[in-house]
Amino acid sequence: MQKTKQSKVPQSLGSKIFSIVNYTILALVGFIMFYPMFYVFIVSISSAQYINQGMISFLPKGINFEAYERVLQNKDIWVGYKNTILYTVLGTLINVVLTAMCAYPLSRKEFYGRGPFTVLITLTMFISGGMIPLYLVINNLKIMNTMWAILLPSAISTYNMIVMRTSFSSIPDSLIESAYLDGANDIQILAKIIMPLSKAIIATMVLFYAVSHWNSYFPAMLYLNDKAKYPVQVIMRDIIIESDMSQAGDMSGMANVAATNYKYAVIIISIVPILMVYPFIQKYFTKGVMVGAVKG
Amino acid sequence: MTRKGLRAMATVMAVMLAAVLGGCAGNGGNTNSTTSSTGTTNSTTNAATTPGTAQNGENEEDKSSWVSDKPIEVSIMLSDSPSQPLKNDAPSHQEIFKKTNVKLNIQIVPAGSYTDKKNIVLGTNNFTDIIYIPNTSDIVTYGEAGIFEPLTQYINEETMPNFYKFWQQYPEMKKYLLNGELYAFPVVARNESANGFGPVIRKDLLEKHNIATPQTFEELLDALTKLKEIYPDSIPWTGRKGTNQLLKTSCYMLGSGYGDNGIYYDHDLKQYVFGPASENFKAVLDYFSRAYKAGVLDPEFATTTSETMESKLCSGRSFFYLDNSGFGQNYTKTIQKLEGYEDAVFQVLPIPENSFGQRRATAYATELPGRFYALNASAKNKEEIIKFIDWMYSPEGSDISNYGVEGYSFEYDENGEPQFIKEYVMQFKDAQPSDYYAIYADLGITKLDWCLWACNTETWFKIQKLDGNWTEIADEYWDIINSDEAYVQPMIMPSFTSEEAERIQDILVDVNTMLEQEYNKYIMGEVAIDNWDNVIAKCEQMGIRELEQIYNDAEARVNAQ
Repeated sequence: MQKTKQSKVPQSLGSKIFSIVNYTILALVGFIMFYPMFYVFIVSISSAQYINQGMISFLPKGINFEAYERVLQNKDIWVGYKNTILYTVLGTLINVVLTAMCAYPLSRKEFYGRGPFTVLITLTMFISGGMIPLYLVINNLKIMNTMWAILLPSAISTYNMIVMRTSFSSIPDSLIESAYLDGANDIQILAKIIMPLSKAIIATMVLFYAVSHWNSYFPAMLYLNDKAKYPVQVIMRDIIIESDMSQAGDMSGMANVAATNYKYAVIIISIVPILMVYPFIQKYFTKGVMVGAVKG
Repeated sequence: MTRKGLRAMATVMAVMLAAVLGGCAGNGGNTNSTTSSTGTTNSTTNAATTPGTAQNGENEEDKSSWVSDKPIEVSIMLSDSPSQPLKNDAPSHQEIFKKTNVKLNIQIVPAGSYTDKKNIVLGTNNFTDIIYIPNTSDIVTYGEAGIFEPLTQYINEETMPNFYKFWQQYPEMKKYLLNGELYAFPVVARNESANGFGPVIRKDLLEKHNIATPQTFEELLDALTKLKEIYPDSIPWTGRKGTNQLLKTSCYMLGSGYGDNGIYYDHDLKQYVFGPASENFKAVLDYFSRAYKAGVLDPEFATTTSETMESKLCSGRSFFYLDNSGFGQNYTKTIQKLEGYEDAVFQVLPIPENSFGQRRATAYATELPGRFYALNASAKNKEEIIKFIDWMYSPEGSDISNYGVEGYSFEYDENGEPQFIKEYVMQFKDAQPSDYYAIYADLGITKLDWCLWACNTETWFKIQKLDGNWTEIADEYWDIINSDEAYVQPMIMPSFTSEEAERIQDILVDVNTMLEQEYNKYIMGEVAIDNWDNVIAKCEQMGIRELEQIYNDAEARVNAQ
């Protein structure tokens, strides 16, 4: 509100110039951010003939949806999609619940051993066991080639947990004390007092975790052996990388590698759903990130 | 109350932490048991698909090629390919089960992730019975670690009659021996047509402007210069992947060589030579610099990519490239769709003569395509697996793993040669990405699937000739390639000891870092070619002759075996 009033105050020449320059630069930066994605999109709906001749720059040529048709006919992609959605939804649920349960006690000053625990947990941000030990752990836990191999090792991200803890600690102690007086236990307090007051941070966490699940391919590639369990990113990566490899050509080179528009259609299809989520969470998102930043 | 509750929570967390830490420590010492546990994991995952097992063997006559009375399961880790997606229980795999009583359990790893996955399963000694090894360096790294079964004990007439035939037929296989021991079975190609790097030119333009087909590289340069004069805006000669690829593709034809990283086997000198440090390399640089000066060579030659090459060739801006000559047919298809280019044809030239009067080129490996399968030293049923592998090298095994199922996808002609059945092939006429890949994927056959005596071009040609996708240009192309005496098979590198491999790496990295900054200066004419002698001297200081010595010694050692 205040801001709109301020903008009616006549501006000096200097600040006008500043605004113009500022907007120009921001528009330019915005364009640089937007263009690659836009380019991928227009190539995906253009016909192969124009793409091969490098004639696509700002507008699609020979618009057609053949590439999408072919992508949608690919059974692997559908299976991958189903898996990705499962891993994202279930994974995010596990992440948010466990992160909150870890963050809550650590956010209370009277928690016994809060200091040492925080130090121990923070250490894991800098020191990790490495790929091979983790692989052996997962193997010996007998969760290899199951979805738990993907969901459990990444159940809590330390960084996100610390952000959440900081956000929780901004809730006044007196609120919690009064709940104790009314006879609530810790679980009840977490569920009925803390969580409802922390929608912003939860939305942020959901977004962080969901995006990381959606984009993740490495654990899936490492711990899963069964094609029917692969998320869509693994399949997408394969389609995109393969064409580079077969061009390297140990074979006769006449193999029809995946056409550019096909590759790009796969990219578009795999990012659209997660792109849709942003606008809905965005209002919480900026607030949530700020909470962590200021009170840290 | 508050205190108590929080303290209880703290205790719970402490216990959990301790459990996690304890778990880690326990796993550390437990590496050996992992192999056996994977074995069980593998079999449980596939348990659902095995009920077919019980019915096997209704037909008594088929039992002759069984490797085991009881059905056994063999797990194999393979790299997937988006052009030919693999699947378990494809018709050819079922047929293999029928014939051998071996149930394949293929672990399909996406191609892009294969290296990572393979390294970790080998590093943790936690892999399938048989594992696909894409290159020889892994055999050196892991062979000595004892995780692969040593195979020379099985290579004899009695145990492996079929493989033994190839072992005798291709003495080069001895180069795969590491300290006298074989650790992986090489795939043997079956009747493969050999193409390779070759010069490809717009034939229609040569005809249109009455330019004779170039017989030597000098005439080629003249022809391209003439085209440049007629089309001043054009960039006659383009390439992909920059200077390195340019050297890799053209050096050998021009009288020197480059291999993948400078070192190559010279079939005329009968020894390994580090190309850039040889006298003949000056002729190569001289040729490039004249091409550059005449405006024939792409001014952006150092930064080209596959995409730029394709777009320049397919839009009529470029007329010539020297790389995988097979690409030309794809480019022909694309450019002919363009208005005014309906007659444009990219066709390979017979290898022109270089300034030393030689006509020479290296083809792609067609006898031993450099695919390997190693056997897990702790696999169960090793004896049966060895028999099974040998069967895969037999004509029957090869027919099934390359043509699918008799009566369903192929039948034998009067000469006993397998031929695809037309009705089966026609279903895939317009399939994506191509007819033959769709068939390979559907049947689970050929080189990219589990196949040890493997077809690639043979089946492809037969399929396209059946369904009518074969073109005249393709016929002409293979005629030129097959009748060209200039092509030789690439040399198989001898195996090195780990010290040698390390020394080679050290020298190569230093020398190539230095050289990379030099090539472009000479090609662009900034420095006179005669100065290259100084560069050679620098290479010699960095130990390049020692490198050549290591290669030639290893080669001699391998041949003496």
